[in-house]
Amino acid sequence: MTKYIIISELVGNPGDEFVPDEGINVEALLDGGFIKSDNKAPKSAKTEPTEENPNGN
Amino acid sequence: MATSVYLSNPVFKVNAVALTGFCTAATLTQTNTAQDTSVFGNVARVYSSTLQDNECTATLYMTYGASEVYATLKALVGTQTTVVLQEGTTVGNKIWTVSNAYLETLPIMNAALGEIQSIDISFQGGTIVETAVV
Repeated sequence: MTKYIIISELVGNPGDEFVPDEGINVEALLDGGFIKSDNKAPKSAKTEPTEENPNGN
Repeated sequence: MATSVYLSNPVFKVNAVALTGFCTAATLTQTNTAQDTSVFGNVARVYSSTLQDNECTATLYMTYGASEVYATLKALVGTQTTVVLQEGTTVGNKIWTVSNAYLETLPIMNAALGEIQSIDISFQGGTIVETAVV
């Protein structure tokens, strides 16, 4: 689930998480620079090196 | 006895953005559309309530800065959003939330020489829910 962070004090306290109520146009808030998405890409799994794959690629 | 309420500290929010600091006037009107249900034998028109047709209007100073009036409204034209009008911030003051309020038009510019630019916007339709500040 996407997490949103408040940028503008017109929406709330900057830095706080923004939880949109039903009916709120989140895209409009993102476009207007009022909030930002806090999407962190999941880290890819690290492969341990083996004899067949010594570099762990 | 007549009473007056002075809206000294009202709150006006559009799509969760507080535009209170740009707003100089706001009106919320509840309308229940009347349907004529008069029949033979009636001596006066009889009306019944059908659909609500609410309207919320506001006068705002138009600003084009980042995260200000234009940035709030430009993406909402032609869509439904949530509008909140609040009598004040004191406990017990009424809050009216209009859900699915439709913004049909946005005056992008309303310039006149020597005047501070302001615009009138109107949200149509939607349902009104009344709560209070706790």
